[in-house]
Amino acid sequence: MKVADEPRYLPLRSSRHLGRTMQKYYLLMRYQHLWGRPLKRPLAWVTSGAPVEILRALGIDVFYPENYGALCGARRAAVELCRAAEAAGYSQDLCSYARAGIGAVLRPDLAPAGGMPRPDLLVMCNNICGTVLKWYEALAGLFNVPLFTIDTPFIAADVEEHAVDYVRTQLRRLIDDLERFTGRRLRPAELERRVALSNQAVGLWCEIRDFCRHRPSPLNAPDLFVHMAPIVVLRGTAGAVGYYRRLRDEVATRVRAGLAAVPGEKHRLLWDNIAIWYRLYRFFRLFSERGACFVTDTYTGGWAAALAPGDPLESLARTYTTIFLNRPVEFRVRQMVELIRAYAVDGFVMHANRSCKPYSLVQEEIRRRVMNETGVPGLLVEADMADARVWAEEPVHNRVQAFLENLELRG
Amino acid sequence: MNGSLYGAEPVAVLLAAVRGGRRPPADPQRRYFGYFCSYWPEELLLAAGLEPLRLLPPETAGTPACLPAFCCLPARACLAAAEAGELDALAGVGFAHSCDTVQCLTGIWPHRTRLFFVPPATPLAPGAEVYLRGELHRLWRQLAAAAGVQPEEEALRRAVALMNGVRLLAGRLDEMRPGLPSPLTAALLRAGQLMPRADYAAALEAALPLLADAADEPGGRRRLVLSGSLLESDGLYMMFEELGARVVADDTCTGYRHFAVTVDEGVEPLAGLAARCAARPPCPCRHPGPDRRADYLLDLAGRRGAQGVVLALRKYCDPHAWDAVAVGERLRRSGLPVLVLEMEAAAPGGQERTRLQAFLESL
Repeated sequence: MKVADEPRYLPLRSSRHLGRTMQKYYLLMRYQHLWGRPLKRPLAWVTSGAPVEILRALGIDVFYPENYGALCGARRAAVELCRAAEAAGYSQDLCSYARAGIGAVLRPDLAPAGGMPRPDLLVMCNNICGTVLKWYEALAGLFNVPLFTIDTPFIAADVEEHAVDYVRTQLRRLIDDLERFTGRRLRPAELERRVALSNQAVGLWCEIRDFCRHRPSPLNAPDLFVHMAPIVVLRGTAGAVGYYRRLRDEVATRVRAGLAAVPGEKHRLLWDNIAIWYRLYRFFRLFSERGACFVTDTYTGGWAAALAPGDPLESLARTYTTIFLNRPVEFRVRQMVELIRAYAVDGFVMHANRSCKPYSLVQEEIRRRVMNETGVPGLLVEADMADARVWAEEPVHNRVQAFLENLELRG
Repeated sequence: MNGSLYGAEPVAVLLAAVRGGRRPPADPQRRYFGYFCSYWPEELLLAAGLEPLRLLPPETAGTPACLPAFCCLPARACLAAAEAGELDALAGVGFAHSCDTVQCLTGIWPHRTRLFFVPPATPLAPGAEVYLRGELHRLWRQLAAAAGVQPEEEALRRAVALMNGVRLLAGRLDEMRPGLPSPLTAALLRAGQLMPRADYAAALEAALPLLADAADEPGGRRRLVLSGSLLESDGLYMMFEELGARVVADDTCTGYRHFAVTVDEGVEPLAGLAARCAARPPCPCRHPGPDRRADYLLDLAGRRGAQGVVLALRKYCDPHAWDAVAVGERLRRSGLPVLVLEMEAAAPGGQERTRLQAFLESL
């Protein structure tokens, strides 16, 4: 890490453990073809909103290209990979995770962490965006492997039972298809165990996030962004539970000791959208230098939704259909207003992320409504989560400075 | 082409509708309901006593404060028109889920009556047909309530029959397309998305014999398939003609794809509408399976004797931008030349002209 990229706030001891955990995960995935094949464990590439509990229960290992996209962004490798995808015809206006992912397939020599392991199958759920379906279709063509899709209709208002039934029907078919693919039968007890493991990790993640209601907050948003990686890639495993137990204990210790993530915390902020990975610490340092701490965010909260008890398929269908990016503006406004009140937030910053249309195109409307309802000021900053070519340093700095000065004037 | 054809009454009526059709006409006898995306079931509006009006961007695009610049022009321009009050006369607006942008548009659209219809993204998935019927039932109930009418099956059957009539007439026009100027055919099909549907059917039926008389062989013109998203003006079609090409098959969202496939009138109407939805030519927002769209375009090009395919993209239109790579590759591998033409507005500029010219010369 370069000096300029170092966080200007209290580092977590668990960060070392995070490094080891993620390194182990990527190494295991990189060599999965060596140890997975003898064990007859296929490797699936999955979207971040895919019902991985089913896959894990069937002995399928999972790899997350979106997480890899974030890694490419953080390691500043995304631009070259995006260029490789663009040279193959993909528009520069498409999602930078997808472009970086396709670039990493086309040009593994440019890809960090040794590139991505070759998949045996692809599992896509479109509850986060329409892009993933097109991206995974492209991957299916590139690798010539089967693509399994779960279509989760957008919830425009209320959750309709025919939509949940539709998703449940597809999940049943997915199980049948994967049973045929793996030659294994799904054991209901194993699925329940995986669901329970997901829920344990989610419960711990919720506890960790909730600790940030304390004043001063024990964590800043970059902590959440960085430490969310295991809850994504290890979802449904004991490893995730162990990881978050340890992190929860450290954060609880901080709270008891009254330790602040941002010393002299003056302003408590909320972040909306995916991180700007290639400027993660430098960007947030603009705030922490002036005593502003991001005590909560909407993005990492996406992994704080527990699977309901009862029939696992019903629970999976309902939970994966109703994630926040598949919900209307009214839901997102309510979610932000509740976070602002629960965490005693003084202001919020929205990242208008060129790569993520479902997250970003409604942000100005949400900003207006949330400001009207709470009286809390909001700032919109345009950038991209992984493609640094669209980053405009000075305009962003000017807007952030003006926003912070406004916060200071408000006391 | 004989200039008198354009002045002949039924043709002139249709073309006048296209020129003035961006706003709901001032007509006290009719209540217009705007909609986005050709997957919106127009029959439900007609059965509720409403006239469907497809919302297309005005020629002078505004910039709404609510949407960032990295959003497609059709969404931005339509929202700006709505915010400016130009669509206030509409009884409401319907959104058929097609892409992330339309999904977002519904949340920021200013009309009080906004209805959303979510067809399955994977129409052949298990449970998709049952889901779609449920979704149509829900929409039908909501629409009838919004219009203040009782949902009646008989009214729906009449609407299905009317729309099937429109589709058959549009199909006859589409068959004549190789012999007619491309901008004329495009405009006549667009009129069918803007005019009261019964009026359109009557005018098109009267116009078809005149068009048949006027149609001739495209001669030495390059024969093209045009595929893409919506095109709200004739600019691109005019450019094809000026450069010596003819669109012999139009697979755009506002072209014949909008009309393709009729509803089975022998089954319960909502079941028939659901079946049509699944049977329509593949568009990039639906995923019936790999290669389906490329296969469809290859077949279309073969049937119409096309020499090349133009894939017209609107900037920031993700589904079409994704498809352009895979579909383009597949068509080229099959020996069909492809030009991917990205445009911000529907009217192309000098760069597009140069690229198209070079493409046509290569055929």
